[in-house]
Amino acid sequence: MKRLDGARFARLIVIAVGVWVVAAVVCTLGGSTGSFGQVSGSIARLRWTTHVLPASLIGASLAAAGVAYQAVLRNPLADPYLLGASSGAMLATYLWRMPLVAALPWVGGWSPHAFSLTGALLAVGAVMCVARRGGRIDPVTAVLAGVIVNALCGSAFMLLNAIYRDLPGSGGMMAFLAGDIQTSAATRDVWISGILCGGSLLALVPLAASLNVIRLSEDEAASLGIRVHRVRWIALGLASLMTAASVAISGPIGFVGLVCPHIGRWFVGNDNRRLLIVSMALGASLLALADLLERVLLDRLGTLVPVGVITSLIGAPFFLLLLLRGRR
Amino acid sequence: MSAILSASAVSVALSGREALTGVGLDLTPGRMTVLIGPNGSGKTTLLRALLGHVPAAGDILWLGRPLSEWSSRELGRLVAYLPQTPTFEPGDRVLDVLRLGRMPHGGWLGLDHAADDAIIDTVAADLSLRDLLDRRVETLSGGQRQRVFLGRALAQQPKAVLLDEPATYLDLRHQVDLYTLLGQQTRTRGLAVLMASHDVNLSLVHADEAIILKAGRVVAQGEVDRVMTEATLSNTFDVPIRRVRDGERAIFVI
Repeated sequence: MKRLDGARFARLIVIAVGVWVVAAVVCTLGGSTGSFGQVSGSIARLRWTTHVLPASLIGASLAAAGVAYQAVLRNPLADPYLLGASSGAMLATYLWRMPLVAALPWVGGWSPHAFSLTGALLAVGAVMCVARRGGRIDPVTAVLAGVIVNALCGSAFMLLNAIYRDLPGSGGMMAFLAGDIQTSAATRDVWISGILCGGSLLALVPLAASLNVIRLSEDEAASLGIRVHRVRWIALGLASLMTAASVAISGPIGFVGLVCPHIGRWFVGNDNRRLLIVSMALGASLLALADLLERVLLDRLGTLVPVGVITSLIGAPFFLLLLLRGRR
Repeated sequence: MSAILSASAVSVALSGREALTGVGLDLTPGRMTVLIGPNGSGKTTLLRALLGHVPAAGDILWLGRPLSEWSSRELGRLVAYLPQTPTFEPGDRVLDVLRLGRMPHGGWLGLDHAADDAIIDTVAADLSLRDLLDRRVETLSGGQRQRVFLGRALAQQPKAVLLDEPATYLDLRHQVDLYTLLGQQTRTRGLAVLMASHDVNLSLVHADEAIILKAGRVVAQGEVDRVMTEATLSNTFDVPIRRVRDGERAIFVI
């Protein structure tokens, strides 16, 4: 791989943005009946703001979080939900529907998305606290703590669902479990999530070079001039923040955060400086296209196939194909 | 010549146990110092303490400045470290590994510069790595891999290199090749080298000075010929070791 100087980095960003723009235009002008371009300006604007832009931002965030998690946790199977963000959000969203919680003086007035964001952050925060030893963060302990927090939140969610079957406005637990770009979210909530995702994405870019080094042993990374634990804290913090903000709006959309970094490696190798940019473009494009497919399927089948189901159905076989090619 | 590293009374306690007690040493440019001692004698702990990777008591001065006053990046430009088992990710190519050595010199985005390519090319030429640059690290032999990781260390353009038993997993020929290469690079680049080693014979041939450690304490230190004696090594390793002459050279036999 040639050196990544300023000119090549700028070119990579232009190509990545170009790929996403093509996908975004297709998704904005593409109709659910398979037509293209036959939309009024107001419909196109509505699609752009309620579907294409949120889906792109969430896809880019999940893919970037996947890159960060895989580097920091030194685990190629790490995905953005490994440290409890999705299960925390899921549990909190369900709690919001409970009359007892809704009656609470302060948090009772919160939107479901604020609950979801708080739940995701609390779950990841609990994992970080467990994995923290004297200011350091241990990747193995973090993964184990994530498994435990995910199991706890998942069990509590199932228990609540078993007890309170007819919560008002629940829409069934599958509505949240599958993951979808929720057009019902309040504009303020979408903006908050958007700012958190966008800000974290931008802050992660200068860290990408350090992510190349923290894959090594701690002593090696430190001797290459990296403050290992500081990079781990910041990278996990940013990745968790954008995952939490994404889950709050969309629920746990599967496979984007796991598969996009691996597809990206296919194109640009292990260099996280390149991989982060490429994965963002792939995640943004994939989720925007999956959202378009959801609208097409809704029109054809008359039933909603959540975007999380679509990404998993596309992502799983594709990932399997990559694994089989890699083995050869 | 002024010392790159001056350390005195370095002590380290690990889990309440004294792992290192009152060690002092100087490293000067163009000279290779070996750390000799049995397993658990404190060789790795000393290397890590000198880099600040484990908390240590005593004075550790790099270029006359206390270790605590060096930032990570500054220290990364001054001293390189090669652990016993360097790590890499499957799929990493030799050039990727060499590029990591430029990390302490990078800007805020960590992008590469044309000067980096020139430095990496020189290192690759010196270590005979030019034909391997596009190879995946996992496809290389143990000897080739160690050359690659030594290349990463040299790409840092350090004044000092600390190595932890770099020849452990190598066969006899590759051990000789690695020590010879290290000796050459020490002299041509004017490096101050400190290397933990189990091989007393190769150390005797290639090193300038030796520090003999046992149970965290210095048993002897100084010029290799003077320090590496039958009595010292026999006492350190608790086995009878004889020093015999083979023509011009001295070798140790058990």
